[in-house]
Amino acid sequence: MTNHLQKEVKRETGEGTDLWRVILAPTIWAVHFLVCYVGAAIYCEKAGRMADLLPVRLIVGTATFIALAGLAAVFISLWKVRGLSSVNDDYNYAGNTPEERHRFLSHVALMLCVLSGVAILYAAFPALVLEVCR
Amino acid sequence: MKNEMAHRHGPDQDDPRIRAAQEARLSKAWETHGGWRYWSSVNNSEVGIWYIVTAFGFMLFAGVLGLLIRTQLAVPDNEFLSAETYNQVFTLHGTAMMFLFAVPIFEAVAILILPALLGTRDLPFPRLSAFGYWCFLIGGIFVCGSIFFNAAPSGGWFMYPPLTTKQGGIGADIWLLGLSFIEVASIAAAVELIVGVLKCRPPGMHINLTPLYGWYVLIVGGMILFAFPPLIAGDFLFEMERAFDWPFFDPERGGDPLLWQHLFWIFGHPEVYIIFLPSIALLAMIVPTFAGRPIAGYSWIVLSALGTGFLSFGLWVHHMFATGLPSISLGFFSAASEAVAIPTGIQIFVFIATLMLGKVVRSVPMLFALGALAIFVAGGLTGVMVAVAPFDFQAHDSYFIVAHLHYTLFGGMLFPLVAGIYYYYPLMTGYMMSRRLGVWAFWLMFAGFNICFLPMHLTGMLGMPRRVFTYPEDLGWNTLNLVSTIGAFVFAAGFLVFVFDALRPKSHAEKASRNPWKAGTVEWALELPPRSWGARTIPHIESRYPAWDDHSFMRRYDEGRFYLPDAEEGRREALVTSVLDAQPVQCMRVAGPTWITLATALCLAGVFIFATYHWWTATFISGLLTLCSIVYWLWTGTGEHPEKDEKAIGMGMTAQLYISGPRATGWWAMFITMTGDLTAFLGLIFGYFFFWTVHDQFPPPDIDGPGWTWPLAAGLLLCGSWVLTYGARLWNARGDMLLFRMALLAAVLLALAGIGALVMGPLAHRMDPTAHAYPAIVWALVLWTGAHAAAGVIMQLYCLAASFAGRLTPKYDTDIWNVALYWHFMAFTVFATTLVIGGFPLVS
Repeated sequence: MTNHLQKEVKRETGEGTDLWRVILAPTIWAVHFLVCYVGAAIYCEKAGRMADLLPVRLIVGTATFIALAGLAAVFISLWKVRGLSSVNDDYNYAGNTPEERHRFLSHVALMLCVLSGVAILYAAFPALVLEVCR
Repeated sequence: MKNEMAHRHGPDQDDPRIRAAQEARLSKAWETHGGWRYWSSVNNSEVGIWYIVTAFGFMLFAGVLGLLIRTQLAVPDNEFLSAETYNQVFTLHGTAMMFLFAVPIFEAVAILILPALLGTRDLPFPRLSAFGYWCFLIGGIFVCGSIFFNAAPSGGWFMYPPLTTKQGGIGADIWLLGLSFIEVASIAAAVELIVGVLKCRPPGMHINLTPLYGWYVLIVGGMILFAFPPLIAGDFLFEMERAFDWPFFDPERGGDPLLWQHLFWIFGHPEVYIIFLPSIALLAMIVPTFAGRPIAGYSWIVLSALGTGFLSFGLWVHHMFATGLPSISLGFFSAASEAVAIPTGIQIFVFIATLMLGKVVRSVPMLFALGALAIFVAGGLTGVMVAVAPFDFQAHDSYFIVAHLHYTLFGGMLFPLVAGIYYYYPLMTGYMMSRRLGVWAFWLMFAGFNICFLPMHLTGMLGMPRRVFTYPEDLGWNTLNLVSTIGAFVFAAGFLVFVFDALRPKSHAEKASRNPWKAGTVEWALELPPRSWGARTIPHIESRYPAWDDHSFMRRYDEGRFYLPDAEEGRREALVTSVLDAQPVQCMRVAGPTWITLATALCLAGVFIFATYHWWTATFISGLLTLCSIVYWLWTGTGEHPEKDEKAIGMGMTAQLYISGPRATGWWAMFITMTGDLTAFLGLIFGYFFFWTVHDQFPPPDIDGPGWTWPLAAGLLLCGSWVLTYGARLWNARGDMLLFRMALLAAVLLALAGIGALVMGPLAHRMDPTAHAYPAIVWALVLWTGAHAAAGVIMQLYCLAASFAGRLTPKYDTDIWNVALYWHFMAFTVFATTLVIGGFPLVS
């Protein structure tokens, strides 16, 4: 228990992870998705259906790299504040304090990072296998 | 929020006489009128019931249409319905089920039960809910009634042009305008529900203690803000094409029918999740109760609901796999369609885990919940199949898709919803539904559903296309179709048993005891039969399942030992709390019964219905009446100055009676509404750049643009108006009334000049919106921005009038806060419009 109390003292509980930070990771997914789709759609429409996809693959590759780097940054910042529930030492976070709320939102945000990462890799996959606009 | 009053003794809750007097005052404040004045009610318990009954009414109507479809298809070469009638029937079946049942029933159930789940007495904007309900009712009757005049829409529920832009008659107009009108109700509900979950949770209910239903409602409300507006933008373009021949979707004049498909499905796919998530949310309340333990993996549900909400926006093109888009585009959407199965699956596994860890009690709601899981898993698996583009090429537009979508909708929406109705019926009526009839209803519905839709997978695989009104007998589809038809009628029989049980007179029915299911969540603390005031007291929440975790909770609740156990001033009151930790910030006076909601809905109905028939004078007059009734509503119903600054709210605390700015509910409502509005605007901008993408040269070289001078002038003038409005807010706060009023007046003049300059751009360059899609989209952007600026001017004038009337003062400044917020969004709209129409032609 003393360990947890120390953690609570160290951290300002009034702020911490809020709802905007929770949706940061899926927002990165959304931007990545739009960049890939819009980039490919415009390129293929302008260059014709037999055009080589290389520029699109470069765009997707770069966007994926940047998006994953962004996710990694969010992930690391959340990893620092992660913690098990302050009442039960589990992932249930059923306590009634701001600190518990903060840990809960951080946990959700952290898991959303993982989900967004998977979805970003999924979205990048077509650019690995396709070679022309057709 | 101050604690200095903590020493003050509140009323003596030990004294039964004092408690009885409190209850009498609460009763009087929350009294529902009898007689014809009953229909002026705005309280969630009345509006919620009307909403649910109406939505189920439309569902039964659309269900009958479904039975007509199945009757027609029962045997080959059937002549039961003509091809034209059949087209109207299947179009209206899909339209009514989606827009008049699936989406509104979410709003209906949420409006009805959310206050109870949050331990409060009403949502922050009861009149808005009532207004939304009347819009829904009138719009729904208008759309459904059309079939009795052989005038119903007949182009399929997604209204693809060019079929529907070239069609004569008013069917497509009824679809476009009737549904646009109903979307008003959806956005109103989204505002109400988001603010409700964020700002009206009971004190102590940190966001990690919020009932899962609240989380789902919050997420779905957010999704509505990004999903519905693109459809509103699409409807706007579509109706401009049908009414005024602006060729947005006409390829001969630079338009493109695919633009509609994009705008429709940017709405249409998230919409599937908008109806799925709130129903699955009911399971998240039901499953723990009957498993007798807390949900296993609360945070996993939250994360997967959030993840589903986001990913559902990356799926829309999977409805367009067969339109010839580049395969890389298909690949992105195929990938996202597979990815969304992950968070969806997590939710299902959490329910299964909760059931496995608990001791399950058999009940009718659980029966429907389990049936829902079975059906939904089957629908989800075919979903994973059709998300694979090559498979979709084969199955596209066949009965396989019909089977798939009904499996997801019945499993993901209808069965959980019926489970929820069985579960919450006692809470709303004080009676139990019959267990025997419930079991009958379930097995008839479950068996009937599978007999009807399971064979359709095969019918589709054998090549039967959707939307054909009949088929020849030698294609091998006869038996399968007959079986499907029999199943449809078995299902209908089961559903009628359910409806009969819900509606039958209850004089002999079993009265519900309090907390009949032995649930742990706070809504079951309500007394049964329900009292007009709802919650006896607004509880202080310490855990997710207070009724399980705190044995003194019910007693303290009944004795009114928490917040607001009284209505001393005879007013309807609720608490506003902070977003994350639910600390009380305001004691809000909630609006009571009124006719203005119905009157405003009728006026607005005039706008949409008269426009359908192109009766422009009547449309214009209705628009003016709508404006007048909204101003009257705001002037008489909002921004009241309380008789004192703060009051004791119980538990030794006091709260302010008036707050403004970002802590207040009104500011949030404006923020949320404008977010939705901004999304619609971005839909129009998307249209502009969509045309740029598909044309070799856009703007086309032979058509004059609006130039850059007029757009630049418009941008500067309107942004000047924005700056002055913002300044006016600050000057008012400082108490500098002269400067405040001068600034507002100048802002009005600048805005009017700005609107003029905006219109002058395309006007001075003689841009003819019927000639080509380019002038049409420029005019559409100008119209949109100009109309919004005009609304902004009315708001500025309202503030000016309020200031002179003494309603808007440095202390009571809600109006100018909210108008300034509107103008922040306005500034972005102006900036984007002028940059796109004036600046983009210079660089493209």
